[in-house]
Amino acid sequence: MSISSTSTNPPLVCWNCHERTLGTHFCPSCGKLLQLPQRIDYFALFEMPRKLWIEMNGLEQKFLQLSWKLHPDNFVNATEQERELSLKRSSELNDAYRTLRDPVSRVEYLLAIEGERKEGEKKQQAPPELLEEVFELNESLDELREAKAAGEDLAELKAGLESAEKNFQEKLGEVDKQLQAAAHKWDAALQGDAATRKKIMARLNELLNRRSYIRNLVTNVAKELAEV
Amino acid sequence: MAYSDKVVDHYNNPRNVGSLPKTDPNVGTGLVGAPECGDVMKLQMKINPETQVIEEAKFKTFGCGSAIASSSLATEWVKGKTVDEALAIKNTDIVRELSLPPVKIHCSVLAEDAIKAAIGDWKKKHGVEVLISEKASH
Repeated sequence: MSISSTSTNPPLVCWNCHERTLGTHFCPSCGKLLQLPQRIDYFALFEMPRKLWIEMNGLEQKFLQLSWKLHPDNFVNATEQERELSLKRSSELNDAYRTLRDPVSRVEYLLAIEGERKEGEKKQQAPPELLEEVFELNESLDELREAKAAGEDLAELKAGLESAEKNFQEKLGEVDKQLQAAAHKWDAALQGDAATRKKIMARLNELLNRRSYIRNLVTNVAKELAEV
Repeated sequence: MAYSDKVVDHYNNPRNVGSLPKTDPNVGTGLVGAPECGDVMKLQMKINPETQVIEEAKFKTFGCGSAIASSSLATEWVKGKTVDEALAIKNTDIVRELSLPPVKIHCSVLAEDAIKAAIGDWKKKHGVEVLISEKASH
């Protein structure tokens, strides 16, 4: 089986038998639970290439197998070091599964480990064509709140917001489709040149920003409408 | 996390909330947003074309307390300044004045962007000046 170079782990020295090992979870020579490699990524934890399309059944199977193997219950009689390792590795595994299971957080995570999306380091741009609409929608939400406080008739404002909500729901669906298409492109270019990969990452990042904006709006509008 | 007193003050008594006529040739409008938190900020300035002095500034921000305080402070600071002086305002000045914590620095960046966007819009309306300043920068 060929695994992309991006997903293999750097060789590690086993803390128990001191052999250099390429195992992900257990040392192939002595069978002991390995320390967590310094920069292990969630894809590597599941021994998967950094692909965005993941077969969910396969991921779940792997997760169940690994959680069973790494579970602290298996190490009650082991040394303290191993007990601690099992605890750490199990919690890491849970984080990894939760992140990879959700298609959006999976893209976010991929962009973070590929260096495209770093908190605070790279400025995230808001989609300019959306801003106008976002601003207007927020203003209508304000109007609705004020009208509600003043005890005015809300029917018209409510109808306006409901249609805006529908409009943004549709936009959300569109972004999700575009994200899917970009994810396919990423997978196809897994072994491609750096420039192509960079371009796809920029596109994925842009779509994520768009999505989080729309997502927030839909949530706000739904919340406000529910309270009317 | 607790907000600093200055943030709370701007949040409770925001200065210069409102809007200016967008189509007025002397009004520049900057609309910016931060996707991390979904904030959106609108900053408008009325600029005297003769003196290049910002005579009026208004803002409206949908977002957290720090975003509101940053834009409120920005309108206070730009009023009475010339365009060039206003462009010299850095987000770090806002961070210092409001004692913003690291997680809220992007709010001050947003305010700086809004100032630049508003002035950019005003310059665009006065097409000639853009050409001159572009020439000067080359």
